[in-house]
Amino acid sequence: MKKFVILAALAATPAFADQPVTINFAAEIGGQPFACDATYAGLGSTGAEVKGTDFRLYVSDVAMVATDGSRAPVTLEESDWQHAGTALLDFEDGRAACANGTAPMNTALRGTVAAGDYTGVAFKVGVPFAMNHGDPTTAPSPLNLTSMFWNWRGGYKFVRIDMVPTDRSEDGPKGWFLHLGSTMCASEGKTDAPKTPCKNPNLMEITLDGFDPATQTVVIDPADVVSGADMRVNAPDTSPGCMSFPGDADCMTVMAKLGLGYGDVPAADQALIRAR
Amino acid sequence: MRRATLGVVLALLTGAVMAPAQAEQGFDWPLPDWMPRPPVPEDNPMSAAKVELGRHLFYDARLSGDGTVACASCHDPARAFTDGRDRAVGIHGTVGNLNAPSLANVAYLPVNAWANPHMTSLEFQALVPLFGEAPDEMGATGQEARIFATLAADPYYGTAFAAAFPDRPGPDLFTVTRALAAFQRSLMSFDSPYDRFKYGGDLDALSEAAKRGEQLFFDHRFECYHCHQGVLFTDNFQREGSPWVETGFHNTGLYGEYPASAPGRIEITGDPADAGLFRTPSLRNVAVTAPYMHDGSIPDLRGVLAHYARGGREGHANQDGMIVGFQATEAETDDIIAFLNSLTDQTFVTNPAHADPWPGDHPARINRADP
Repeated sequence: MKKFVILAALAATPAFADQPVTINFAAEIGGQPFACDATYAGLGSTGAEVKGTDFRLYVSDVAMVATDGSRAPVTLEESDWQHAGTALLDFEDGRAACANGTAPMNTALRGTVAAGDYTGVAFKVGVPFAMNHGDPTTAPSPLNLTSMFWNWRGGYKFVRIDMVPTDRSEDGPKGWFLHLGSTMCASEGKTDAPKTPCKNPNLMEITLDGFDPATQTVVIDPADVVSGADMRVNAPDTSPGCMSFPGDADCMTVMAKLGLGYGDVPAADQALIRAR
Repeated sequence: MRRATLGVVLALLTGAVMAPAQAEQGFDWPLPDWMPRPPVPEDNPMSAAKVELGRHLFYDARLSGDGTVACASCHDPARAFTDGRDRAVGIHGTVGNLNAPSLANVAYLPVNAWANPHMTSLEFQALVPLFGEAPDEMGATGQEARIFATLAADPYYGTAFAAAFPDRPGPDLFTVTRALAAFQRSLMSFDSPYDRFKYGGDLDALSEAAKRGEQLFFDHRFECYHCHQGVLFTDNFQREGSPWVETGFHNTGLYGEYPASAPGRIEITGDPADAGLFRTPSLRNVAVTAPYMHDGSIPDLRGVLAHYARGGREGHANQDGMIVGFQATEAETDDIIAFLNSLTDQTFVTNPAHADPWPGDHPARINRADP
């Protein structure tokens, strides 16, 4: 009986004190809405033209920010897109250049927050350490996508924005991929989960002040992030594009603009996400 | 009142226990605890009787136009249900265009073809080898009435169809394709040395070379795992209870211009961006499924690694961006191959539950071409 009382209390409390909240997101490349059949001009340091072939990211630790700066956690609804406070945002529809993606799309976070007056939103881009290194074959949705998983040691791709230059150089790479995830995670092997947090967790912390979920949208656009990278070049013996791994020259101008330090390069203001 | 309440509770409990048992009538998924079940189409629930019927049909050459070609003629269990040939050979010695793919764990694959994104069920797929004419595989086109009459006259099928399909107890297009699909859906392979090492906690199940090879396989220098990803080592995956249907088709730069006989997904979609794109094969049991690639054009694993080390054989405008080439020492190549060898499931390739059920002199088998 004791269990029932606790469950009843948990179920009853939010009904009185909570309000629903929906936070809408939009994906763009260079200010143009993301679509799998679109091309985008003027990307990177040499102004490459690209097609987008994937655009997905995980978001967690969502909170509304009150006028006094305090944070009220948003309880995300459990669904195919949201589990235990982590959500997958998915802007590709599995068509055209995104044929290796999935058909369903998700462009919003849905949950509840304690009633109150809020002036901003805060969240992390990424999967929390405790959930990041499990077994994706048995994980609940949305943590069970092979395309969003590196390996047990590395965990999930927090951000997967894949761009393919349409006017690439003869010897150049066939794609420039932005994959953000945790690196330098100490474990026995690449398919063993680390027991202690990774040296570079690479979770992006986002706070958007003056954000009203009822009227505004969170815009994700990698154009400024990759503005210093040549989309038609890949450093030899490294991943195509920037996949967060240490020692990749293609990441030198990129990671700082995700608000993350990279080797000797200090973090700068993140340039991936803004309110509109 | 008390008794009535108890009765309701009992009925609920019994119902909860009975429902799955009835749905799968004596069929137990041969899966380890850690592996989720595959999805099963609503019109084709699994049953032990249906899987057993499907096994008999799978090895029965009387399903072909001249009684010489069975499914097993290109899908040999000892080779993880491949045939050892570069391209499959059908009726009258017709050489096909594509390498016979392994059937291990096909229940988890959302697309059951090298290059046809619409081939999304094993039931539908069975029609292609049976009745396809370009190329002829089993050559049964237009002969289904005669073939089904022959099967119906066989004493085994007389009882087997009734047991598997009580409402439709005879051979026809529906029952034959459902039974073949149910048998293929039962072909689970999750008992390789790597599984015992990774999931079973047996740290001695892999050689030191295979352990080193695993680290290289999952290293971003080689990028093997970007496409050969997840529990099946392919980016094609679906499972029971998951909303995701993941498919992965890639151009690996085998040809500068893909031949018209096997042009890739463009053959179905007509989209130039699909030229040379083929489904990523699973690497489970890969060591016993030579030769490799969609057309069997690379004879061994060393050749496949050399192909990817070069960043593609001829190169193609649609070549996948993950294939950037790499430099590997001989020792590293040996280690990766040792790792790939550890993906061979000896239990699977010798499983008596998957073997030919027909006696050697039975009409189902006596004229059958075997690989």
